[in-house]
Amino acid sequence: MEEIAIEVNHLSISYKSLKAYSIKKMLLRGKSNKNDTFEAVKDVSFSVPKGEIWGIIGKNGSGKSTMLKAIGGIFSPDQGSIDLKGHSVSLLAIGVGFKVNLTGRENIMLVGLLLGFSEKEIQEKMESIIEFSELGAFIDKPVRTYSSGMHSKLAFSITAILETDIMLVDEVLSVGDEHFKKKSMDKMRTLIGDANRTVLIVSHSIPTLKELCSKVMWMHDGEIRMIGEPGEVLGKYKEFMK
Amino acid sequence: MKRFVYDIKKYFYYVIYAGQAELKAEIADSHLNWLWWVIEPFCFMLVYTFIFGMVFGASEEYYTVFIFIGITMWDFFNRMLTDSVKIVKNNKSIVSRVYLPKYMLILVKLYVNIFKMLISFAIVLLMMFFYRVPVTWNILWSIPILLAMIMVTFGICTFLLHFGVYVEDLSNVLRIFLRLMFYATGIFYDVEKRVGATFGPQIGKYLTEWNPMAVMISSMRRVLLYESLPQYKWVAAWFLGGLLISVLGVRLIYKNENSYIKVV
Repeated sequence: MEEIAIEVNHLSISYKSLKAYSIKKMLLRGKSNKNDTFEAVKDVSFSVPKGEIWGIIGKNGSGKSTMLKAIGGIFSPDQGSIDLKGHSVSLLAIGVGFKVNLTGRENIMLVGLLLGFSEKEIQEKMESIIEFSELGAFIDKPVRTYSSGMHSKLAFSITAILETDIMLVDEVLSVGDEHFKKKSMDKMRTLIGDANRTVLIVSHSIPTLKELCSKVMWMHDGEIRMIGEPGEVLGKYKEFMK
Repeated sequence: MKRFVYDIKKYFYYVIYAGQAELKAEIADSHLNWLWWVIEPFCFMLVYTFIFGMVFGASEEYYTVFIFIGITMWDFFNRMLTDSVKIVKNNKSIVSRVYLPKYMLILVKLYVNIFKMLISFAIVLLMMFFYRVPVTWNILWSIPILLAMIMVTFGICTFLLHFGVYVEDLSNVLRIFLRLMFYATGIFYDVEKRVGATFGPQIGKYLTEWNPMAVMISSMRRVLLYESLPQYKWVAAWFLGGLLISVLGVRLIYKNENSYIKVV
């Protein structure tokens, strides 16, 4: 039997009753704030075998990113469970992860420590991360001076070089210029070749998913519409979106 | 409890490294920045010395050092509380990317602010030398006093972190509260003596003992300046109280921290 890396059972996540309230509003209105309920993920179950690359597709707001965050341990599920079987996990998403006043080098260290690597391990990989990111002298400048492309390149490089057992990639394969795009695709391909690495990719790019993934999951309004071979699912999805 | 020990071990290097990086970044912004950690309390001391020492004729012995001790400890407390209310929001980039126990963010701040406070205390020592304050072994009490203060501060910060996520204008309320507490704590006067003189000695005593910062600051002044013992019973009581608050606060955070990110 094949080994399972990620097991998700009846997962539901909602944003109900969690709006921050303010004392000022309560005083002025004389009542507590209204709560909006929004169910982002509804009763989703699936399991990903170890070593596979899965793509997740779906229109905006269909719960893809929320689910990814839950798998990354950043949200707790409201119902259901997520079992990673003790694998280490990292999430790569646009626009998150850095302290802008610190230098790139310091940020690499901080992110690495948070991902559970030791200082020594990170030092060893530091040079290859910097090299991969192509930031050059900017690595010792504060991150707030980076362009958005540099920002994303650094984020991608950290996750790509500091390899965790499970990688969750949220819509970042299209960062940087053509050259870096090609490089990151190549890197993803080598990661796919590694039988120990499990990857979930959220993307809107059908060609990317078709090329990289062994399976594709289509989410719609917080539910799974379909899981299957990339060609089949993507074909249906394309038709649906027309 | 087990989880707490495990997490502290796991994230220890992160806290140290992040604290150092933050200090370094402050210095890197402008090379004279670290001087502000010294200049600011020093100038406030001059202001208070002028207004209360000269205009109102405060008669506390070694008044300049007296004030500086108060400001040093109050600044620490004030900074910690103010930082903690918005700490999750300010670290959104981190908390929305990886999991970390949220009170680690407080520990990073603690590292930064303890460092700044110690610099300030170095100046206190210099001033004591300058004013030829007689020194006894009682000054060793300053260490347990600081520990007790840090414990209480950490405890309060854990609760502020939690409620700061859900109540968006908590920082406004906190600011008012801190201002009130600033005056009640006796940064530039002796609460027990002054309040005691107006409302009766018993009330002055209560106001000191039931306000952790007043106990810590007046104890610190006793051991550093006046060759006497601290209110060690109250320092110990507040240490235990702080420990209790911290345990409850950490548990509260563990229970709720995964939903924080949904709010911010």
